Amino acid sequence: MGSTSATVAVTGLGGLAYGLLLFVVAAGLKLILGVMKVMNLAHGASYLAGTWLAYLFADGTLTGLALALAAGLAAATVGGAGLAALLRPLAGHTEQAVVTLGLGGIIAWLFSRISGGSSLTVPRPGLLDGHLSFAGHGYPIYHLAFIAVAALIAVAMHQVLHRSMAGIALRAAIDDPPIAATLGLSATRIRIAAITVGTALAVGAGVLGAPVLGPAPGVDATVLTLSLIVVILGGAGTNIRALLIAALVVGMVNYVGAVVAPGLASFSLFLVVIAVLVVRRQGLRTAVAA
Amino acid sequence: MTTRNLRRQPTGRAVRLARTIAATTGVLMLTAAAGCAGSSLDTTANDTPSGDTITVGLILPKTGPYQSLGEDMAEAWDLYLELHGGKLGGHTIVTKTADEGTDEATARKSALKLLDQDHATVLVGSASAVPSAVIAPLAAARHVPFIGTGGRPSDKVMPDVSYVWHTSWQSRETGAAIAPYLAKTIKGSVYAIGPAYTGGYDQLGGFTDAFVKAGGKLANPEGGNAPGGNAFAETPFPGTKDYKPYLNKVRASGAKAVYTFYAGADAIQFVKDYRDAGLSDVPLYAAGFLTEGDALESEGANADGIFTVLNYSPTISNQANAELVQDFQKKFNKTPTLYNVTAWDAAQVLDLAIAKASATPAGSPSSAPATGPSSAGASLAASSPASAGPTANGSGSASATTSAGSVPPVTGQAINTAIAGLGQINSPRDTFRLDPASHAPIQPFYLRKVQSDGRSRSNAVIATLIPAN
Repeated sequence: MGSTSATVAVTGLGGLAYGLLLFVVAAGLKLILGVMKVMNLAHGASYLAGTWLAYLFADGTLTGLALALAAGLAAATVGGAGLAALLRPLAGHTEQAVVTLGLGGIIAWLFSRISGGSSLTVPRPGLLDGHLSFAGHGYPIYHLAFIAVAALIAVAMHQVLHRSMAGIALRAAIDDPPIAATLGLSATRIRIAAITVGTALAVGAGVLGAPVLGPAPGVDATVLTLSLIVVILGGAGTNIRALLIAALVVGMVNYVGAVVAPGLASFSLFLVVIAVLVVRRQGLRTAVAA
Repeated sequence: MTTRNLRRQPTGRAVRLARTIAATTGVLMLTAAAGCAGSSLDTTANDTPSGDTITVGLILPKTGPYQSLGEDMAEAWDLYLELHGGKLGGHTIVTKTADEGTDEATARKSALKLLDQDHATVLVGSASAVPSAVIAPLAAARHVPFIGTGGRPSDKVMPDVSYVWHTSWQSRETGAAIAPYLAKTIKGSVYAIGPAYTGGYDQLGGFTDAFVKAGGKLANPEGGNAPGGNAFAETPFPGTKDYKPYLNKVRASGAKAVYTFYAGADAIQFVKDYRDAGLSDVPLYAAGFLTEGDALESEGANADGIFTVLNYSPTISNQANAELVQDFQKKFNKTPTLYNVTAWDAAQVLDLAIAKASATPAGSPSSAPATGPSSAGASLAASSPASAGPTANGSGSASATTSAGSVPPVTGQAINTAIAGLGQINSPRDTFRLDPASHAPIQPFYLRKVQSDGRSRSNAVIATLIPAN
């Protein structure tokens, strides 16, 4: 008999991997939202496209994975630039959001057409296949590697945003576009850069995350919904740390919640979201009153 | 407000509108271009119903998660017709198809199209219980028999079965068939887990009720706490993308085996997570859908060693199955699945019933002459099941062929009456008969194990749980 604490610990690892996956996707969504002021509702489809590329290139080697990643980044560059061009003639953010919703729907539909509506299993590179065992519980090696890589991405993102010139320009463009323009920062270039990098984060997460959350009908909607929740929980402003904490909370509630309170599994996440939003609102009021 | 302002406003709006339209049109054109990929299964035979042609409406999932099951059914139906000269019971068959969809509205629209526009005499198909419940009353109101080939709704949802027949199974049967076996052979408790929706409740409930009754002990905590003491561990449905958190509790429960039901995409995910959760030393038992058809192909080596219970396996040894396996290998280069067999048997039931209805003068459903499948069925049952294959139906078809042109049309009502009198049917799953009360098969169930011969994987029969009648 294994102990309950081991059960929770292994499940927590799952929550960590899922939370970090959502963090990378949500960071892309947040970047596009911050610069373009548009909720990119095709973002979940970008993730799906990444998992699809991983499936196409997967040959059980790390080279296959690297090729898939390169193809994903190329596709994100083309797709991001295309999306920027498509959204440009549209005046309102609502109209732009609706167009992204339609695009996402088309990508998801094409996928289900090609896959015949079935869910595809992406093989893991041989080096990272198999699982580690402790206290009678298993955990896939690939997922551990994914946790490490996603954590590196989070650190790198933080460094770029706060330590590099590009990051400072980006934050300026998000926080105060008119002033940024007066400083000679090209709004168009920043827009295209933001949408491309944002899409690349979703596609890249899809490529690397495919063995964790693979290409299947409906995965685009799941990823979109959860990363929207992460962005909302992460709050306003360019705060990488808040976004990371929000993503980990969502991941943990999804996983550990299923073990601790299985009866609530279907809606426990929404209970947490409502609680956080209400408490934060109250906190703001208290702060203003003081 | 000046005239200039009045003039400028609409112009600005018009430009914006034009841009919006341009963008929308672009999106729509993409959609339309992609939509051209669609195709139709419909045969292009003449539409005019005459005495010797019968229109069959084939209603299958062409979209949604069960799309591949629909493809399995269509290929078996087409193959049966191809091997029998396009005829059932001596009548040329015109097949019209429609999508059952995943919701009630699509199923209703498709059923009405087949019934009222194509004037189908018989409806065949459906993978899921939801569309079946919608199709059944529409068909019954027009005295059109409906031969279901997939999930069957419970009596509560579909109370009137007078025109409904199923060649598939009843949802609670599968688990109930394996329960006594597990209660006897597993030395310890069994962890029952499944999806929280109607299909899951029926499949797992059928298992846990029979398992507890047979003296088995459930390991999942829900098994002791719930009223009746026989519930299973539920996973949210739809939308569970990772079963590891739920499976992590199996180890702590001390279970000696796991019993489950998942199908399609969920099955693939569950099998993968079962291995990743390090449970390979805990035997996994399941309803056969877990490792059926496309799912088994995607699961690959992860599925090796899984035990399942189902009313079919391509390794059943009888003449009808040997021929079916051979025909499928030749035509599609694959082994048949359960959904191939339910559709195949629907064609077979109609072949026998139409022959019988044609031989019997309308209005007098008394015993038919030599061609009567009731007598044919009896003789099949008397002889060894291995001796008679689908060729037995061929003889039925041939003797029913009176000269074309002068044949009176066969009504749905006559076919329905004929189905009721079919008796034993010789199927690749082994002989079964349609229960006169439930209109569902009384049939054998098999314990199967996923085995690989190096080239391909299959669900090999290792025991018969409920023998053929």
